[in-house]
Amino acid sequence: LQSTDMGNPYLVLYNTVLCGAWGYVLYLTVQTYFLEKGSTRDVYKAVELPLKAAQTAAILEVVHSAVGLVRSPVFITAMQVASRLWVLWGIIVPVPGPTTSGAVVLGSVGGVTLQLNLVSLLVAWCLSEVVRYSFFALKELLGTVPYPSLWLRYSSFILLYPIGVASELTMAYLALPTIKKTGMWNLPMPNAFNWGFDYHWACLLVCATYLPGLPQLYGYMLTQRKKQLGGGAAKPKAKQA
Amino acid sequence: AIHKTVEHTALLAEEGKMKISVQSRSGKSIADLDVEPELSVRDFKKKFFGLKRKYYPSRQRFTLPLKAGETRATALEDSKKLSDYGLQSGAVLHFKDLGPQVGYATVFFWEYFGPLIVYPLFYFLPQYLYPGQAAPKQHALVQTLALGYWSLHYSKRIAETFLVHKFGHETMPIFNLFRNCVYYWGFAAYVSYFVNHPKYTAPGELQSKVALGIALVCQLCNLRCHVILANLRKPGEKGYKIPRGFLFNFITCANYTAEVYGWVCFTIAVQSIAAGIFTLVGLAQMAQWAVQKHSRLRKIFDGKEGREKYPRRWIMLPPFL
Repeated sequence: LQSTDMGNPYLVLYNTVLCGAWGYVLYLTVQTYFLEKGSTRDVYKAVELPLKAAQTAAILEVVHSAVGLVRSPVFITAMQVASRLWVLWGIIVPVPGPTTSGAVVLGSVGGVTLQLNLVSLLVAWCLSEVVRYSFFALKELLGTVPYPSLWLRYSSFILLYPIGVASELTMAYLALPTIKKTGMWNLPMPNAFNWGFDYHWACLLVCATYLPGLPQLYGYMLTQRKKQLGGGAAKPKAKQA
Repeated sequence: AIHKTVEHTALLAEEGKMKISVQSRSGKSIADLDVEPELSVRDFKKKFFGLKRKYYPSRQRFTLPLKAGETRATALEDSKKLSDYGLQSGAVLHFKDLGPQVGYATVFFWEYFGPLIVYPLFYFLPQYLYPGQAAPKQHALVQTLALGYWSLHYSKRIAETFLVHKFGHETMPIFNLFRNCVYYWGFAAYVSYFVNHPKYTAPGELQSKVALGIALVCQLCNLRCHVILANLRKPGEKGYKIPRGFLFNFITCANYTAEVYGWVCFTIAVQSIAAGIFTLVGLAQMAQWAVQKHSRLRKIFDGKEGREKYPRRWIMLPPFL
């Protein structure tokens, strides 16, 4: 099997479909918010269904990893998918009011207000996913990856990770007061199984894990970047030698 | 060019000694040492420490350069001699810094000492740890028995650390101390919070007493297993041995079996999902270790070249694993 052979056709299909789905979410976001000048609420109404479908489908990636179809570590993949699912199904969907219309304002640059809100979240998510899925689709299809795709995969995270993480924490920040007030998903004591669950506390705990998580992940991607891009254009040529 | 340099410096080594070139795994030269071939790896590490004061011996890891077809480099063992590895003058050794190390016994002590302090806090100080909740005047019997069992269990673990266990390694990375303490201390708080909660609902006393009684038996079995494991190697013996006797005749990691069943019984005794979660997580980790140990033993004791064949045994949890 040469490195230029096509890999698994199912993986080509999976990665292409998801790349398209996230591209579609991005298109709807841009059209609704930037072109039609809609509100972030309008954006949510437009993207709700394809967003839920695309993000939930990522559960398959944990399965792929567990059965050995792809080489990524199961635990790390599961953690990453779980965190996305928590933000979507655990924060935005149950508390749509504050999350889809709220924002954390960062400041103004040249008359443009910089905010962390649903749109910054969607842009960060969509761009990272389109880059990631297209990378894997091309890799499965062609055996090697064209340099532009390689570059994007190992460079886009530099801006997108911090913006994505900041937006995810913003969603939690906007939803937490409602979660605390309504006591949603709480399991109070006393009960026969002597166990309680306070969803508000659980969310705070998850947010706390972001703090050590991001520097570690970021550092890991930076070393990967040096390895993959450090050789520059020489790398793809070396494979054919 | 590299070959010539190595041969040239080899000629400069002292009579009866050989020159060892220590390099980083990326090929950068770190130090050259003149040593007798009969020098033990342990003493070689002491010599290296003399040159590089930052890297005390337990932080040092030396590997032979990869041979063709090898994916994992061979690491030098303390008890062997340099000549055991066929090293000639001019040989290259790769050095890796394992990072700050801490002793096994130290880690075991601190990770087990935390639960001894943390768990009772919720029993004795509910007014501070359950703010705003009126605690009943007296604890249920099972809550007191659970406190006793928990304290006994971790006291036993500390005693075993200093009196029973023979550790296979001397040190581990210092990050493990932090990680293990978070695990043990965190779960101690998590379990204790619910079992000693003001709104705790005790199951029937018979259920609790019988379950804790069986748990105690499991602890004694676990202790016996630990003693058998500690006595497997005679002083000075190296290498793996097949564990025998007691439950080891049927199960490779019988010590884990007893430990898991002990916690299952504890969970039944206190009837708390929090205790159940603690049991499951411990079970998952022990199962992982047990599978590794079992396959390692089966690989070593393959029945060839006069070696024994590892007998058919459960790994950890009959009838499941």
